Amino acid sequence: MSAANSEQFAPALTPHVNAAPHDSVVLRMAIPNLPSEDREAQLFWRLRYRIAQNLLRQHLAQNRLRTGLVTGLSLIFWTGLFVLFYEGFAFIVENIGPAGATYHAQTVRFVFHLFFASLNVMLVFSSAIILYSGLYKAPDTPLFLSMPIRPERIVLYKFQEALFYSSWGFFLLASPIMVAYGIVVHAPPYYYAMLLPLIVSFVYIPSSLGAIACLFVILKLPRLRKFVLVLSLLAIGATVGPLVWKTFSTPQTRLFGTEWFHDTVARFHVTEMEWLPSSWLTGGLLEAARQNPIPFGSLPADSPVVQSILYLVLLVANALFVHVLMVYFAKRWFRTSHVNLACHGTKPPVPRGLLADRIVAAGLFLFPKPLQQLLLKDWKLLRRDPVQWSQFLIFFGLLALYFMNVDRFNNPHSDIGYITWINMVSFLNLAVVGLILSTFTTRFIFPMLSLEGHCFWVLGLLPIDRDTILWSKFLFASIGSWMPCSLLVLLSDGMLNVPWMVIAVHQLTCLLLCLGLASIAVGLGAIMPVFRETSPSKIAAGFGGTLNLVLSALYIMVVVVLTALPCHFYLLASNEAWGDTILNPTYLRVWLVLGTLMAIVVGGVATAVPLRRGLRAFRQLEFV
Amino acid sequence: MIDFQQVHRNYGEKTAVEDLTLHIGAGELFSLLGHNGAGKTTAIKMLVGLIRPSRGTIRVGGYDLVAKTREATSLIGFVPDQPYLYDKLSGREILHFIGRMYGMEHHQLHAATDREIHRFDLGDFVDDLTETYSHGMKQRMVFATALLHEPRVLVVDEPMIGLDPYSIRQVKDLLRAEASRGMCVLMSTHTLQAAEEISDRVGIMNHGRLLFDGTVETLREKFPSEKRTLEAMYLALTQKGASLAAEGGKA
Repeated sequence: MSAANSEQFAPALTPHVNAAPHDSVVLRMAIPNLPSEDREAQLFWRLRYRIAQNLLRQHLAQNRLRTGLVTGLSLIFWTGLFVLFYEGFAFIVENIGPAGATYHAQTVRFVFHLFFASLNVMLVFSSAIILYSGLYKAPDTPLFLSMPIRPERIVLYKFQEALFYSSWGFFLLASPIMVAYGIVVHAPPYYYAMLLPLIVSFVYIPSSLGAIACLFVILKLPRLRKFVLVLSLLAIGATVGPLVWKTFSTPQTRLFGTEWFHDTVARFHVTEMEWLPSSWLTGGLLEAARQNPIPFGSLPADSPVVQSILYLVLLVANALFVHVLMVYFAKRWFRTSHVNLACHGTKPPVPRGLLADRIVAAGLFLFPKPLQQLLLKDWKLLRRDPVQWSQFLIFFGLLALYFMNVDRFNNPHSDIGYITWINMVSFLNLAVVGLILSTFTTRFIFPMLSLEGHCFWVLGLLPIDRDTILWSKFLFASIGSWMPCSLLVLLSDGMLNVPWMVIAVHQLTCLLLCLGLASIAVGLGAIMPVFRETSPSKIAAGFGGTLNLVLSALYIMVVVVLTALPCHFYLLASNEAWGDTILNPTYLRVWLVLGTLMAIVVGGVATAVPLRRGLRAFRQLEFV
Repeated sequence: MIDFQQVHRNYGEKTAVEDLTLHIGAGELFSLLGHNGAGKTTAIKMLVGLIRPSRGTIRVGGYDLVAKTREATSLIGFVPDQPYLYDKLSGREILHFIGRMYGMEHHQLHAATDREIHRFDLGDFVDDLTETYSHGMKQRMVFATALLHEPRVLVVDEPMIGLDPYSIRQVKDLLRAEASRGMCVLMSTHTLQAAEEISDRVGIMNHGRLLFDGTVETLREKFPSEKRTLEAMYLALTQKGASLAAEGGKA
């Protein structure tokens, strides 16, 4: 660096005098020309671009399989959703009426209002939670705070990340629905051009509100912590409670009947309120999809294209307004809220001898002492990590809620259509439980051994062999997953009122799934550990985690199909009307037994092989 | 250059820094010593703008850190105890990002980057992603980012941890050289020998209070009974150390 350059940039060594408004004359150093607001924004976009570019380059060079797999699976998922919604909208057109008909408009409007209003609420919460972790817990925030960067720019940078992460799922869900609807109703070309601006401006509003809420809660945290918690619980109780109560207390009416339809529409009338951004989005989309030739010359104000543009303008204006609000609050609240969180006091000591721990300890009496201690350690780690059990609770809680409502499919009619339907739903429920379990085993069980690498100076020096450590992980995962899964499947079967034989087959399948999925996750975790990562989500997102997810999904499909198909045909054959003519129950009983036996064999192999290979790999593993 | 005036900071009920008044001038190397939890890192976090004082004021180069945070932090280079580098950026990309955030123009930035690459011998790995760096390489990289914009104040939190003897020597020489060139250096450390060797003044904190502020010679004058090392005087000054020293004397 030349001396001239150095002198040009370095702050003047001689202090100059500035008159401070309140106190006496203060000596202040000259400061360099700091970037303007626009320049700061450009620099953050450049930072993001560089990181994304390097990440993409690395993925394409080192993780081609994973990148291809993720892209391929996303495409399959998108296509599947598109086909599903295309068929759904085509059903509405065929059975309710073409686009423009009153019932068609009411039905589609109801579906869109409900869908977007739900996402409206979810976006507020998800952006607030993601912004909280990105802004207050991320390791780069202290770096930014120690630099001469405007606080609102730091918040905006993190908000853009939160916006992306909270809304990509929305795009993945909404885009196939919108495209399918456009094709089914033969929407004009400008409908497709309006999709992106409408959705982006919509997403910005609830996400910004979530960001403001996040800043406010953290700003007032020391005083509001208990208040916010109690208020949130009351709000959730007040919202969910009446809905659940109404669902259970509503008399059983015929599914999809007129009364059911009117009742359902009335129940969700709240989603159609005019002040909701989701209502503006629905209005904009439905207006844009209307077939109405654009006349030459002037456009009437009530023409669909003008109405749609007006809805877009409404969304954009509100998005800009909440953006301004967010910047205003970020400028005033961010630094103070960051300090409040960093200094809000020491955490209370961890309680010892909890009843839950004593119950778990008592339940492990059958196992050898070292194994008991390892299992108890993993239980305590799980209990003290709300990220793990809260996700488990949310997903399985939602499933339980759905299963409690599933008896609506249980129609008094005993024709073959209903029997087929109920049996199919029961097996689909079983598969869903398995698939959700597989995401948990990938996210939480697969990284367990990699994470133990950091603590192996403790485990490695204990007077136990390594096999015990791996067995403890397997037992922890399989027992821990089998109990809730088994109960959920039992709940589903009970609500559907399926025969005892099917319940028994489901319970056996559930056990096989839990054992196999636990073994695949533990075994692959030992074969492909990632010791340099400390974040379980990053370990799960690696190649080993992706492979674990794919193998788990394949295993679930094979086992469920092996037990479901013979069971399905057996039930059909047992029906008097069909039994003698199409299917012979005698042979089908053999198929049923054979299918179950094959499922047991597949389950045995899926449990034994990964575990055996994992044990072998773990014995030879070097913790570097 | 650095001016703490009756600064107080508490974490809930616990007081982390109490009534801290401290002035460090340009060209001075000040070492802050103290046990774990004495309040050193809290004082440093307040100085670089990560947290704010509950009471009192901190000025850097005449700028109040709360009212004029941007101006004050623009004068500071900071080497934290647990530095963060973006895994998916190369060392050069990080240097460029930080330099631009401090308002450096294109030609200045490239000249300064070359200067720091040369000074910290980063040439062999500066274009690799930082996720591949060893601890020592990361530490050198962090020093380069802290000094890139030629700050008037350098704040260094525990710079010697995990470094080999050669790197420790380099850090000590660097800090001494920068102070000699007029930079104001504040270093927090547990390495008493290094503090004794390079510091112009030392400050000893215990339970959030600054027990001593002065040169090592002044400290020796306070403990004239024997030729004490900084370690012995430090232990004697802090209560915990005093009791340990008493036990040692009995033995």
